[in-house]
Amino acid sequence: MMRCVRIFDLAESRPLAEDRFREFLREGIAGGDRLLAFFAEEPSPGRFLLHAVVGGSAPGRFAHGCAEISGQAYSTFTDVCPAAHWFEREVYDQFGIVPEGHPELNPLRFHEGWPKRFFPSRSPEAPEAEPRRGYRFLQVRGEGIHEVSVGPVHAGVIEPGHFRFSCAGETIQHLEIRLGYQHKGTESLLAGKPGYRHLILAESISGDTAVGHSNACARLLEALLGRPADPSAESWRSIALELERIANHVGDLGGLATDIGYLFGAAHFAHLRGQALGLLTTLTGNRYGRGLNRIGGLAPRIPGTAPEPILDRLRRLRVDAEKGGSIMLEAPSVVVRMEGTGCLRLRTATTLGIVGPAGRASGRDVDARRDFPSPCFAEFPPTVILQREGDVLARARERYEEMLESFRWLSLVLPTAGAGGGALSGGSADAPSGRRLVVSVEEGWRGEIVHAAVVDEAGGIAAYKVVDPSFHNWPGLAFAVRENVISDFPLCNKSFNLSYSGADL
Amino acid sequence: MLEAFTGRFRVGNTALGLPPEGLPERYRGAPRLGEEFFSGDAAEIGAMVCPTGAVDAGKRTLDLGRCVFCGYCEEACGGKGIRFTPDPHLPFGTREELVIGRTPHAPAVAAKKLRSLLGRSLHLREVSAGGCNGCDLEAQAAGNPNFDFQRFGIDFVASPRHADGILVTGPVTKNMKEGLVKTYEAVAEPRIVIAIGACAASGGIFRGSHAVEDGVGGTVPVDLYIPGCPPHPLSILYGIVAFFGRYPGRVPAGAAEP
Repeated sequence: MMRCVRIFDLAESRPLAEDRFREFLREGIAGGDRLLAFFAEEPSPGRFLLHAVVGGSAPGRFAHGCAEISGQAYSTFTDVCPAAHWFEREVYDQFGIVPEGHPELNPLRFHEGWPKRFFPSRSPEAPEAEPRRGYRFLQVRGEGIHEVSVGPVHAGVIEPGHFRFSCAGETIQHLEIRLGYQHKGTESLLAGKPGYRHLILAESISGDTAVGHSNACARLLEALLGRPADPSAESWRSIALELERIANHVGDLGGLATDIGYLFGAAHFAHLRGQALGLLTTLTGNRYGRGLNRIGGLAPRIPGTAPEPILDRLRRLRVDAEKGGSIMLEAPSVVVRMEGTGCLRLRTATTLGIVGPAGRASGRDVDARRDFPSPCFAEFPPTVILQREGDVLARARERYEEMLESFRWLSLVLPTAGAGGGALSGGSADAPSGRRLVVSVEEGWRGEIVHAAVVDEAGGIAAYKVVDPSFHNWPGLAFAVRENVISDFPLCNKSFNLSYSGADL
Repeated sequence: MLEAFTGRFRVGNTALGLPPEGLPERYRGAPRLGEEFFSGDAAEIGAMVCPTGAVDAGKRTLDLGRCVFCGYCEEACGGKGIRFTPDPHLPFGTREELVIGRTPHAPAVAAKKLRSLLGRSLHLREVSAGGCNGCDLEAQAAGNPNFDFQRFGIDFVASPRHADGILVTGPVTKNMKEGLVKTYEAVAEPRIVIAIGACAASGGIFRGSHAVEDGVGGTVPVDLYIPGCPPHPLSILYGIVAFFGRYPGRVPAGAAEP
């Protein structure tokens, strides 16, 4: 049994009452679990269920709770599980169900142009919900407080999002992050008969995390259809995942260098990022690793890839990355600029449920490669790297050291990867019948990726939920920039490097 | 400091020569359509597996504006009839030209008026109008030391007021439509619009969702399409440079092979 995937039988379990569900969340969080996913579903017209998946306190530990709620409102669970607050806003957007007592209930994705009664996931047969209310920015009041708004179209070549700063002088008192500009209805496109179209959509959830999302999606579909991939295919999946991690961490170091005007680092790492993406191209035929996975294994071009040339190129890349990284992170002009900037404390990170390198840089000990290991990571566990300070420098060091760990891990695993791993066959397939919930977890380079699918009696996917690590981490950025000057915001933003598309599903 | 200098010196000049040589064999660039596609059953097989409906079995065409370069059609027909090559050269002037068939299209070239005004340098404002960020990353990469499009006078600027045109990625989400129109209108005429990737041409894999406009063309007029999912930085570089007639090497002969 793979520890990164779990199937829950929904036909057996009975939904909890709201207060029991609250207890389930409270006990889970108190016991060291984290909120993996939280979403709503309408199994029959007018009947609404809230699903929560928690886990991670022990390797492979998943727990599922489900509450039956009225189609209009429930009292918020953000009080016992602060990590649920964006999830509740998302449910409000999709179904129009109000979490009463929620601290900042604003639409997450549906801006002013949308009809107020448009709830994409609510069936037309269900009783009509109250119209969605308009967006209200939090207003900071006081002498000399002014607002600065940025976006959605930014000055750089990046995704759209809107930031509203409330400042006293140059100092940020509060930052409100308004996303939704990238909302493409991805999750609604993922319902239906399970098939390879899911994998292609998964690769387009967040362009820089194609491998992470496609691995999570492939394992989910395989568990659902009962066609696991062989160990060699699993090895190549993890290898591609680590190549993706190296490419993005190298790219982020370059991005940080750009933002502080350290041009040697900017040019050096931009070049190395190209080299790392070149390795993914050699393997998969695409710079971002698209087309790696098939249901039940790998794309037919990949089996038989010789590891030696990849190892050779990795060795050269490692020398250049290690040299450039050590020069940059020891340069006094770099250190003084990053140290103490954009500090996110461990307590805040834990309360908000921050995952991935951003969480580990604050000392939060979470890593899905250890907590929900896929077969290859179970066999070759990578070392979890932690920093304590939680500032931009810690996040830069976290990335640098994680990257070195990935090089070490790859040099260990690549020679053992084997040549097998072709998929059984492509196309869509019929899942066995019976109502189930399938959950799949993968540690992408940005943090924990969770895919969850509710399967109906006929074996079709009734609801598909994707949790990109960005969705957990965006609120963390708002806390990290407090008490910093507004001109440090780009640097703080880059040090988190969150996906807009992944959050706006 | 000295170490940084020697490090930089050791890596040296990293810009690729043009025309580039040696993209990996596996890279899925411009597809070639063989005889099996036009007289065999490759078109039917392709149409059956294509996740975005890019292959039209009736008309025997492949719409590169919808193609996400996943390669399923090539695998299903065993490489006979549809074959993806490592060729990154893919600029097209109109939405119709993206639909390739037996007759190859002439390469897209900018109208004379645009060419004389913008031919020597081109400053672009990038607008991400949805999309997954893949195309944005490739647009950014086209300016890095490996691809270095500044050597052709192309660059990204921070404001539409400084720009000669916009480069748009993504299917245009309903939430970004206004932002795109405002940015477009803020660019002084004559201006050009370059649409990058399958999403920008047709909505790509997101086509038909409740939240997208299925491409840039319905919102602002497009002068140049560069298909791909995402297109290689070389496709972007080559596409723009060829459009202005300034490419030192070959010109694309269209995507069909005789």
